[in-house]
Amino acid sequence: MTKGRTVVATFVLLALATLPLIVPVEAQQFSDRAKNIGSQLKCMCGSCSMTAAGCSHPGGEFSGPCPTAKGMLQQVDQHAAKGETDEQIVQAFVQEYGTTVYAEPPKSGFSLVAWVMPTVYLVFGALVVIFVISRWVRKNGSEPAGHAATAKAISPELLERAKRLAERETED
Amino acid sequence: MDVFGSFALLLAFVCAVYAVVGGIAAIITRHPLLVKSTRQAGVATCGLIFLATFSLEYLFFTDNFSVSYVVSHSNRDLPTFYKIAALWSGMEGSLLFWSFLLAIYVLSVLIAYRNKNGELMPYVGVVMAGVQLFFLTLNNFVESPFKALAAPGAGGVMSFITRADGNGLNPLLQYPEMVIHPPNLYSGYTGFTIPFAFALGALLARYPGEKWIHLTRKWTMIAWMFQSAGILLGAHWAYAVLGWGGYWGWDPVENASLLPWLTGTAFLHSVMMQEKRGMMKVWNVWLVFCTFLLCMLGTFLTRSGVVSSVHAFAQSNIGPWFVAFMGITLAVCLGAYLKNRDYLASENQLDSVISRESSFLFNNLLFLVACIAVLSGTLFPVFSEWFTGNRISVGAPYFNRVNIPVGLLILFLTGVGPLLAWRKTSRESLKRNFGWPLLTGLAVGAVAFIFGFRAFYSLTSLILCVFVAATILLEFYRGAKVIRARSGASFAACAIDLTMRNTRRYGGYIIHIGMVFVFLGLAGAAFNRDVQKSMQVGESMQIGPYTLVLQTTDTKPEKNYTAQRLLVEVLHGNQPMMMMFPEKRQFLTNKENGTMVAIYSTLKEDLYVVFAGTDPDSQLPVIHAFLNPLVKWIWFGGVTVVFGTLIALLPNRRSVLVLAPAREPSPVEPLPHGVTASAILREGHD
Repeated sequence: MTKGRTVVATFVLLALATLPLIVPVEAQQFSDRAKNIGSQLKCMCGSCSMTAAGCSHPGGEFSGPCPTAKGMLQQVDQHAAKGETDEQIVQAFVQEYGTTVYAEPPKSGFSLVAWVMPTVYLVFGALVVIFVISRWVRKNGSEPAGHAATAKAISPELLERAKRLAERETED
Repeated sequence: MDVFGSFALLLAFVCAVYAVVGGIAAIITRHPLLVKSTRQAGVATCGLIFLATFSLEYLFFTDNFSVSYVVSHSNRDLPTFYKIAALWSGMEGSLLFWSFLLAIYVLSVLIAYRNKNGELMPYVGVVMAGVQLFFLTLNNFVESPFKALAAPGAGGVMSFITRADGNGLNPLLQYPEMVIHPPNLYSGYTGFTIPFAFALGALLARYPGEKWIHLTRKWTMIAWMFQSAGILLGAHWAYAVLGWGGYWGWDPVENASLLPWLTGTAFLHSVMMQEKRGMMKVWNVWLVFCTFLLCMLGTFLTRSGVVSSVHAFAQSNIGPWFVAFMGITLAVCLGAYLKNRDYLASENQLDSVISRESSFLFNNLLFLVACIAVLSGTLFPVFSEWFTGNRISVGAPYFNRVNIPVGLLILFLTGVGPLLAWRKTSRESLKRNFGWPLLTGLAVGAVAFIFGFRAFYSLTSLILCVFVAATILLEFYRGAKVIRARSGASFAACAIDLTMRNTRRYGGYIIHIGMVFVFLGLAGAAFNRDVQKSMQVGESMQIGPYTLVLQTTDTKPEKNYTAQRLLVEVLHGNQPMMMMFPEKRQFLTNKENGTMVAIYSTLKEDLYVVFAGTDPDSQLPVIHAFLNPLVKWIWFGGVTVVFGTLIALLPNRRSVLVLAPAREPSPVEPLPHGVTASAILREGHD
């Protein structure tokens, strides 16, 4: 085995040795339906901006779901007991509290904008970057390739400046 | 002392007005005495702000309850440590604290460059003084921290009064990190004023070359370091104090601190394009402008009440002032750009699509997309109300979904970017630099998958973390090997030597390693678990491999609060392991509650135990226990990032270059049209 391969093998082994540190021992626990739906709803106590399922109500007498969040989760259970679907349960809360009850914008109507825009930014930005890069590359490629003529015309000053520029470009 | 403080602030305002007006006159007339006097007015402004800040602290330390701000944010039994933090716990004091930190930066700049850059400094001085003037206007006329306490007396006439004791400090702020988190974050916000002042000053003065970039690099890195540390300290505070088991909730105030960090990070990368290749000059100037404006926007969002936030302790009606200031700043920046945009002509040329330059462009794109996505998400409730009449909330689930993919792409570029060559990267170089790291990452990912690490984003993050760490370690290894071949010293010594020879490059790598740790910690969040239970004494609960047994409860009266404490024995398997003491505190003056979470933290996971309160039905104490994998790596990453930045700020031990002796970077004129440095060197040496 060459020296380089020994180093790489050591490297891989070291990386694998760190795995016991980072692999969780058990699989993730699944939450119940109320908790699931509660994570889509904002706690409406007015003092926190957490979800009904994740409310810890900092600064309150009780750290954990505050009475409002608990009430909302109980309501979810009551709706579920009537056989309502998840969507129907969420809509029941929207009717009671308005659209502010959503923990995240619904994927319909005006709220769709919130979901679509980040992808638009990314795609549009990527197109701009690709356009800019190709223009810069093309600009360079379209220059006259008069190397021989340039070489003859190089003065000591120009060579010195080129060295400085190369130094600057290769420093990091 | 309150009168003294008010007077100092007023005088500071007058000096700042002179520094701005006189500074503009000095630029026009170029009269040396005027230049000198405005510089001295700038120094005086800073000195007076220091005096005003110390006066307010003095009022806190002497329990002067005739001052409204002191009454609202302190009390006699408040520990001295927290009387320092009381300074920035409310609107008025935090704005004064802002002026104070800005004054430290401004004074440092004025002293550091007192005899240098004579053409540029008057412009920089005016911009800095202009920003100071805005905050001093708020300090003096809008949110004065020295207002005397007044109450209606006999006949309804208002009269000054002194209270026997104050209302006390918000319990959430009575935690050691609250003494260091805001100063760090504010140092970041205020610090970005300096690169902004240099960028705008250089544009206005048409200052030649890239010198303003070299001058501001240190200041930008210092501001960025403080901003990074401030954000992570805030996250740690939220984790340790709020008792919800998380560290980042995408609250508008948290988002506000992230926005300038994102553009500032983009700037720190793209600035290299200008330094090395003379490219992206317009982009860099606008990145600095945007970073500064986002600092102001963040402050506006935090304090105006435009978006609802849990950080409601610092809100008032100063929104219009910030809007006006941001409007004026934007107009000045735009005007300066339109007038002098020819000054920013760039030398944009590339030899290949696969090059360091391209990676920087994509890096900037991703940071910008993340910034705009966070900003638009934060403001979406306002937009939705404007357009539809209904306020639609945007919470943590949305931000996670939108930003995690972008974050992972940035992580990928963290590994790829630095090892691509400027101008053009060959296929061989790609194979040499990325082949083994990529295989290592995939191998670790496969093993992790087998062991149950199967959440998609977390697994991707893990693979990328290993890939990036491998590329960086390989880079250190190769460099150290060369030095070792010559010196024969140990690998560790050679790696240190290598780092100190080119602190900027290897400091940057250390920062990247820190970010890898942060991403690794974030990846663990997908596997968080929690259990909540009402517990009788002697009863136990199980979470992961741990068994928690409630041994007893006690009440501990302290000077400023009463702590109700649970004594919880922790068993690992069946073996006793340790005692944990989660607390619930009730503060005596304001009857508010605070939580002290008990955390047992290892590199693998955190056992996080909260005394949630008393069950209203059974009257039993409720324990909320969390098992959060890998969280410690986030804090470890934060420390590494700060360490890396400090390394990058150090001067190189000695030059590593052989082409020419080290010298002050000087403005370099573009080479003749179509001729590259490498081409000339190649031709010249033939």
